[in-house]
Parts: sequence; C-alpha cells; structure tokens
Amino acid sequence: MDWTFVSNLILASVRMATPLIFLALAELYSQRAGLVHIGLEGLASIGSLVGFLVCLITGDPFLGVLAGAVVGIAVNMIYAFATIHLCAEQIVYGMAINIFAPALAAFIYRVYFGAGSELVQVKLMSTVAIPGLKDIPFIGPLLFDQTPMVYLAYALVIFTAIYFNKTKSGLNYKAVGEHPKAAATLGIPVIGIKYLASVICGALAGIGGAYLTTCYSTTYVDGNVAGRGFIALAAVIFGRWSAGGVVLACLFFGFCDALQIRLQVGSSGIPYQFFQMIPYVATVVVLALIGAKKAGPKAVGKPYRKEER
Amino acid sequence: MEEFLRMEHITKRFGDLYANRDINLTVRKGEVHTLLGENGAGKSTLMNVLIGLYQPTEGQIYLNGQPVKIDNPAKAVQLGIGMVHQHFMLVEAMTVFENIILGDKNAKGVFIQKDARRKEILELAEKYGLEVQLDKLITEISVGEQQRVEILKALYRGAELLVLDEPTAALTDIEVEGLFAIIEKLTSEGKSIIFISHKMREVLRVSDRITILRAGETVCTLDRGETSGQELANLMIGRELSPSHYEKRTVTDDPVVALQNVDYHKASKHAGLNGITLTIGKGEIVGVAGVDGNGQSQLAQLITGVIAPDGGKVDLKDSKVAKFMPQSFIEEGVSHIPEDRNKMGLIGDMSVKDNIVLKSTGEPRFSRAKGWLLKKKAIRDYALQMQQKYDIRCASIEQEARNLSGGNQQKIILARELEARPDILIAVHPTRGLDIGATRYVHDTMIEAREAGCGVLLISADFDEILEMSDRIVVMFEGRILGEYDGKNPPIEEISLAMAGK
Amino acid sequence: MERTKARGGIRGTKLLNVAVPVVSVLLAFVLGCLIMVILGKNPFEALQYLWVGAFGSLANLGITLNKATPLIFTGLCACFAYRCGVFNLGGEGQFLMGSIVCCVIATKVPFTGLPAILLCLVAGAVAGGLWALIPGLLKIFRGQNEMIISIMLNYVATLFMGVIYTAWMRDGSVPQTVAVPKETQLTRLFGMRFTAAFIIAVVVGLLIYYFLFYTSKGFQLRAVGYNMTAAQFNGFAVKRYILMSFLISGIIAGLGGSAELLGTQYRLINNFGNGYGFDGVSMALIGQLHPLATVVVAIFFAALRTGSTTMQAATGVPTSVSDIIQALVIVFAVAGLAMVKLPQFQAAIQKRTTKKEG
Repeated sequence: MDWTFVSNLILASVRMATPLIFLALAELYSQRAGLVHIGLEGLASIGSLVGFLVCLITGDPFLGVLAGAVVGIAVNMIYAFATIHLCAEQIVYGMAINIFAPALAAFIYRVYFGAGSELVQVKLMSTVAIPGLKDIPFIGPLLFDQTPMVYLAYALVIFTAIYFNKTKSGLNYKAVGEHPKAAATLGIPVIGIKYLASVICGALAGIGGAYLTTCYSTTYVDGNVAGRGFIALAAVIFGRWSAGGVVLACLFFGFCDALQIRLQVGSSGIPYQFFQMIPYVATVVVLALIGAKKAGPKAVGKPYRKEER
Repeated sequence: MEEFLRMEHITKRFGDLYANRDINLTVRKGEVHTLLGENGAGKSTLMNVLIGLYQPTEGQIYLNGQPVKIDNPAKAVQLGIGMVHQHFMLVEAMTVFENIILGDKNAKGVFIQKDARRKEILELAEKYGLEVQLDKLITEISVGEQQRVEILKALYRGAELLVLDEPTAALTDIEVEGLFAIIEKLTSEGKSIIFISHKMREVLRVSDRITILRAGETVCTLDRGETSGQELANLMIGRELSPSHYEKRTVTDDPVVALQNVDYHKASKHAGLNGITLTIGKGEIVGVAGVDGNGQSQLAQLITGVIAPDGGKVDLKDSKVAKFMPQSFIEEGVSHIPEDRNKMGLIGDMSVKDNIVLKSTGEPRFSRAKGWLLKKKAIRDYALQMQQKYDIRCASIEQEARNLSGGNQQKIILARELEARPDILIAVHPTRGLDIGATRYVHDTMIEAREAGCGVLLISADFDEILEMSDRIVVMFEGRILGEYDGKNPPIEEISLAMAGK
Repeated sequence: MERTKARGGIRGTKLLNVAVPVVSVLLAFVLGCLIMVILGKNPFEALQYLWVGAFGSLANLGITLNKATPLIFTGLCACFAYRCGVFNLGGEGQFLMGSIVCCVIATKVPFTGLPAILLCLVAGAVAGGLWALIPGLLKIFRGQNEMIISIMLNYVATLFMGVIYTAWMRDGSVPQTVAVPKETQLTRLFGMRFTAAFIIAVVVGLLIYYFLFYTSKGFQLRAVGYNMTAAQFNGFAVKRYILMSFLISGIIAGLGGSAELLGTQYRLINNFGNGYGFDGVSMALIGQLHPLATVVVAIFFAALRTGSTTMQAATGVPTSVSDIIQALVIVFAVAGLAMVKLPQFQAAIQKRTTKKEG
C-alpha cells in the first residue's frame, strides 16, 4: 500500500462523508425536535435533481445547492404538516415522502429532458484551498483543499455542537424532543420549534442531495442517492445523537464508500458489486454490534397534541 | 388578607362533557388554599385552565383584581403562576440546572451563562430551604428532590402563586414533612399556594381554606377551623362514608403462591426486589402497602411471569416455577390486573369484544380445529353476555377499547381475568383513576373471587384501599418487605412508619 | 339513544376508511390533470386513453393483471409484517433473493415442467423468508431498527443479483442470465398476458385475509401488532410472532420474486424488481393493511402503469405523470387517514351522525 493509495482514500472518505454529514445533521435536527424522519432519501433525491437542473441552467453550482435547499424545505413542509398537525405516524409519512419525492424528481427530469435524452453533464463546484492550512504536510492537501461544501459541512457540525450544548435556544429545542409537554408549560413554542426543525431538516437534506450533483457526480440519474438517506439515519444512531458522534459515524461510512471504490479499481476477478456492498453491509454490522442502548430523544415519534385529556 | 387570584364562573367542556361547570375560586396572598375532590371532580382541568393549557369555554380569571386572559402557558408564567404537576414536567435526560433554566426568557444573550444563573438559583434555593444538586441528571435524584426542583423552577420564573397537584402522592412521610416546611416558608414570604389533594389528614394540616369540587362543580369553600375530616369527606363524595364493609379472614390453608428469598436487580432501590419472602393463601387477599416505586411493579411482574428472578425460589401451587413466561403462569391459573390498563392490559385498537376473549380465542368454545377457524358467533354471544354481567358501558361491543372510560376499560379486564376462574389474582392499582361506583364494583368482584377460593395479591398505593380490602398486609420499601400485619385490626401508625422505611 | 349515536359513529369510521383512499385518488387525479393542462395536453383525452390502455381490451386487462402480480406480492409482504407491528421495508430484497434462487434452480436442475416450477417457487419463497429473517433476528436479539437493516439488505440483494447476471451466470456478452427453459415458464391464461402467478397472488391474499381474521393465531398476531406490551402480558409469545411475521412476509415476497421470474421476466437483468419493495409499502398503507384491499390497490396501481403507456403513445403525456399520480395518492391517503383519526375530526363526525339520526 503506497502513500497515494492512502491519501486518495482519505481524500475520498472526506468527500463521500460530506453528503452523509448533511443528511445526518438533517436527521439530528429533526429528531431533536421529536420528529423521526425516514424520508431523507426522498428529500435528498429531489434536492439532487433540482440542484442539478439549476446548476445546469445557471452554470452556478452554488445556486444549485441553494435551490436544493429550497426544494428540500418545500417538500418537507408536507411531512411537517402531516406529522405535526395531522399527527400522522412519522415512520409511515416518512415512507410516503420516500415514494413521493423521487417520483416527483423523475417526473421533472422526464419533462425537462424529454424521453430519449442523452447524458447531460454539469460543471462541478471547484475546490477552494485555504491558504496556510493547505500547506500543512499530509493532512493539509487532504482536508483544506476541498469544495466549499465540505467546509460548510464541518462548520455546520461545529455550529450544531455548540448550539445544542451551549445555547439557551438549543436547550429549549432539545426539550421539545425530550418532553414536549414540559416544554410547553415553560412557554417554549413546541409547534414552532417542530416546524423550524422541519425547515432545517428539509434544507440540509436538500443540500445533501444537491451535493451529489454539484460536487460529486456531473450528472443526475434516478436513485443516485443510493440509500444515503438511510445510512444517515444509521449514522445518527451510531453517533448517539451528538454532532461529534454523528460526524465520526459519517466519516466511517464515507470511508467504507471510498474503500469500495478504491478496491474496485485495484482488483480484478472479484465482481465489483461485492465491493459496492461494503457500505451497506457495514451499516448492518455496525447497527448489530452497537445493540439497542436507546439514547435518542425520548419523545421521538410521538405526536404532540395540545389539548389532550 | 389581600386577594391574589379570582376565577369566576369557569366552565370547560370537552365535546358534550362538562369537566368544569361554573366554578368559582378565590385565593388570597400568603394562603394555602386546598382544592379537594375525587378523581374526575375537575381539579386538574381547572388548574390546566389556570395555567393556560386549556381555554375555558366560559368564565373569567382575575389577578390582583385585574381581568386577565391566559391563552398559553408562557402567559401564566409571565403572570406569576407556577404549577408543579403530579407527573413532574422534568426532562429526564437533562441536569437539574438545565431543567431550571429551560425556556427562560428573562436571561439575556445567546449562550447559557452558567455561573450567573447558578448563583441566582442557589440564592433562591437557600432562601426557601430547597436543597437540590444542580449538576445531577433528573434520573439520578430522588422523587422528593425532583419535586423541589419543580418548585424551584417555578420560583425562578417569579411565581407568586404555586399550584401543587397531589404533591404528596409519591412521597414518604419524611419527605412530606419537608414539603410542608417549604410550604410554610413560601407562604410566610407572601406566596400563595393551591394545594390539590384528597388526603384528609394532610389537607387539614396544611390548608388555610378548602374548596371542595364534586363532578365538575364547586360544592363550597370552608375555613380549616370550621370543619372536620368527616365533613370534608362527606362533602367530597356527596354522601356518608361508611367504614369497611368486608369481613376479614384468617387463612391457614396451604399457600397458592410462595416466594422464598427472591431477588431481582437487587441493587435498584426503586425497581428491584431484595430477598422477598411472601405467601398468598387460598381464598386470601394479601395487600401490599407502600409508596409507589418500591419494587411493587416488579413483584407483580414476577408473579405473572413477565420478568424472571435473579435468585430465590417461586412456587405456584406447590410446584416450583421453572419457566418465567406469562404463558406458563396463565396456564397455572394466574390472572393479572396490570398497573397500566392501556399499556399492559388492553389492546386499545381492538374492540371490546376482542379484548374480552383476548386470551381464549384458541379454546374449543371459541374456535374449531385447534384455533384455525374462529367461531365468530360464539365469541360475539359470549362478549355480549360479559358486557351484561360486568356492566361494561359501551356503544357496542365492536367499539374500540381505547374509546371507553377508565372504569369500563377496567371492567373489560375484570371480565377477561376473572372469568378465567383464576386460582391466583395479581391486582395492581385496580381502582386507580376510577370513580366511586366503579371502585366499589372492582372491590366487590375481588371479594367474590376470594370467596371462590382465589388467592389475591392486591398492590395499591392507596392506603385506604389496602386497609379496606386486605386479610393480611405487607409493607414494601426499597425492594424489601418490611413488615407483615393482620388485616383485621391493622396498626395504622406502625404501617405508615414502615412505608417510610422505619 | 346514546347507543345509536355512537354506533352511527362506528359506522361512520368504517365508511371513512373507504372514503379516504377514494378521495385521495380523486384528488391525485385532479392534480394529475392539472399537470397535464400545464403541459399543454387535454386531460380528458389523456384519461380516456389511460382507461383504454389499462382495461380497454382483454389483452390490455391481461397486461394490467400481469403488472399487478408482483405488486400484490410485495404489498402483501408489507401488509403482513405491519400487521404484526414490524416495518419490513425489505420487500424488494426478499423479492430479489427469491428470484435469484429461483433463477439458479430453474436453469440448473436437470428437469423442467411442473416439478421444476414447484421446486422453484418453493425455493424462492424459502430464500425470501430466510433473507427476511436477518432483520427479524437482529430486531429480536439486538433490538435493532428493522427498517434500516431491511433497506440496507435491499441494496445488498440488488448488488448480489448484479453479481449473478454480470459475472457468475452471465449469458455471453449481454449483462443478463439465460432465460429459464420454456417448459419451466408459467403459462399464460386464457390467451391473455397474465399467468398463474396472478392467481397465486390472489390466493395468497385470500389466505392472509383468512389467517388474520379467522384464526386464533392471526388474531394474536394482530394483537401483538397493536400493542406488544399488552400482548406479552396476556401471554402471547411476542418474539416468536415477530420472527414469524418476518419469515412469512419474506416468504410472500420471495414467492413473488420467483413467480415474476417464471411468469414474466424469465431472466435476471438490470433493474429487475426495481422499486417493487416501496411500491408494496404504498399498496399496504393505502389499503390500510387489509390484505384484500391491498390486492385491489395493487391492481389499481398496475392499471395506472399499463394505461400510461397507451396514454403517452396517443397523447404525448409522459408516463411519469401516472407515477406522480400514484405518489400523490399515498401522500394524500396517509395524511387523510391520520386526519380522520384526530379527536377534533372524530368529534365532528360524531356530531353529524347524531344530527342525522336524531
């Protein structure tokens, strides 16, 4: 194993972990407000497509990411309304989003490009080196010569960690996911925070999806999210609902993804699909190993009704 | 004394049901005003109106003589009204400190200013004698301390009026004394207290005035000096309270259940069992007295096979239990009225009919071919018969069980559990949340089971119920059995002391 | 008086259970038509072709029923598991594992015809069941979230199928396996496109219906699904039921996979079975976990799919409009079913029925 192999691997791990970090943070914000969301896969897919289209039309990947966030929020408002106001079962409604959003994405794609379109490609976001830090030996080029989205992801992680642990607002936010009734008696706007959570979740999931078409792959194909929405869910469990833990979990899953690509390139004879299985199998194994020590917010998944007898 | 709060003509309706009807209540500054009433008398509803969780259908609230509209809990806090709910509103995954500062609008800045806030809280705690450990998680502190946290939480938000909802229900005697001392301190500082309870002794001890509610309406308001426990009880129930009417027995037959030195998660004081030795005789009611959370739930779950002991021996009808599974206990003739009827007793989404036959659909009377074809008509007929016999009031036996009142839900469980003609009945809080009529019904049915030779274990946090029903009384404290007493003339003082661990 | 009132309420609720999906479908169609108008097409014409394409002739009906077959299987798979309170989202993986095993056996055994068909179906069903046992066992022994695990296993199964048709059993230069022998394929019925697989699917639906509502075990399984704690307290072997529900739902999906292979596709190929798992979840949810309703919903969705091809050919409205309509149905139906359970809504219904009867 030579140095280029290792450095490429690390570089790829960081890149592959980035969409997972956006998605896992989306899940974290949602769950902290008591909304378990298994529809991230769907949100990411629509975010991915819209990000791709906007990037294609405007030629600006940043606008693509922004559009991904906006459409993520828009679609997630359906989930928010159904689960918060109609008290629909969160799991079931997350599934509905998983079915609805990719269908919408596929539809828009077909309508825009017509039936028999050739492969359309966009220009990817370019990397921006951070002066000074970039020159640190070994890790400099790996960590500080990335797209701005990578920096954004890590900035969000740090922000999230501070927000939930050090701020008053973050404390109130967490109380909504732990014990909404208690929060309400203290004047914390439970419904408002749940909607806020859905906005944040939708935006981050949309960005996570848009990352795939603006920073990772030059084109859009149906199913390009490839289970990342669900792996992010596993990352939140694995990361024990803390921002730091979640990012480590994402890096681990990102590493698995990077590893499979590297191994595919390097080996012949073994069908490449076996390598592609690595991230999925790793998720199953990790979940099986950590067992069921439930540490998540207590009121997750439970509807909150104002006047309940 | 000056008036602080006046609630006038408060009515609260849920659909067709009046939870409160034209209620009037005045609370003065520095007074302890008790709201006395049975379960379902409307106390909680009235208080939820006061703290802005419910909006009154009609009526007006005045504070310091000014009309106010309390349309959300934040408004109530802002107006100086704080409530300590019976089920504490504490976030278990957070520390005491975090719980106290939660939702605090007064503090400036984005970040939590730990040092400044701590100082404020500690000063306040000192002033009112509220001892708390700020850095512990809620799960790590005792129930008494959790209550102090709740009081401190309210005071920190500037509460002038504190509502204490059944504050003594989960406390030991010593903790109750501590609470009363705190109440005294609070009123001497000019704070007002609304004290909600149905325990006469405490009410007479702590209140300045007492307002009695019955069936959602005000009965009257009395000064403490001018009334007696008997009068209060009569007013509360609406008729004369008769002394115990069940004949107590002494049973010498072989026991149907015998526990010997049974342990379960021994180290846990609130959820473990430590060297339990206990017998239940044929045709005997053994009452387990004690404050909630001293291992009673675990004891019940052990004798019904839900959990398995870590050590010791359990005999059912003279044979040692090998397999701790509810199935095998049911086959041995054990019936169970579980502590939480919605969670453990009923399938809320299934019909009344289905819940009645829940355990027995595999029996030949309800199905053919070893359960492979249900006899729907037989099931229906049987359920109708049970509905009559146990007086289950529902629109139809096809109605979902969760839509029934607590009393009727309990009757479904009784029908199911007692019609199995059990040899052993484990009843946990069988009358919790039921009105007087339903309570009487449950008690009569349990006595009937006893007459039929069933050995009954009655676990209840309601001491009066234990005294009324038990042929023999044992006291549980921190997972141990602290004493055993004859049910005929039980030494009440001694039992109370044992319940507090002495 | 009080009795009639509340009984009216119960009848009202039952009516709503049918009304909500129907209204959802109508709403979805209205939105679908709106989309067509925006695309500059005539929605009435399009709907007409949609209908003709799906049911217009016996041939088209056959295609619809044939398309419905795998959806019925995965729908019943999801339905059965949910009835026991577990969210088996792995229908697709179980379906694929069934078809993979079926394909291997069908192409490798020395005999063909009915014995081979029976062996293939049984082996496929067993494979699906075993694949479903993985999330089941992990849930029971490790307390793990069955949803994530079963979804991850979908990807693994899809990739494994890829191994089969691109490497291990590749048929020459094309990335696909050889077709199963003609004699082992399921024959078409009445000269139409659908095969015995459809009959099997409907029979499975009937069997599940019978099991859930007419047997003691099915009764207990439903009880476990509604309230696991109470079921345990009442002496039901909860874990055994959970495992059993995984096993059986996997068997249903695996059977579906092998039936689809023998009846329609004949070989493993890229995109085989793609999306059937989540489609099945849709069917089950819209059908409110009633097995027979699930069958009906599956046929309806299949009709939308077959009809949309005709619609596209005749009017130029893209087939994905029908995908959108399907997706909207689930969005509306699930929200609607939640809405009618709200206490406020129930109270309103109660009032109206009383008024009518009073």
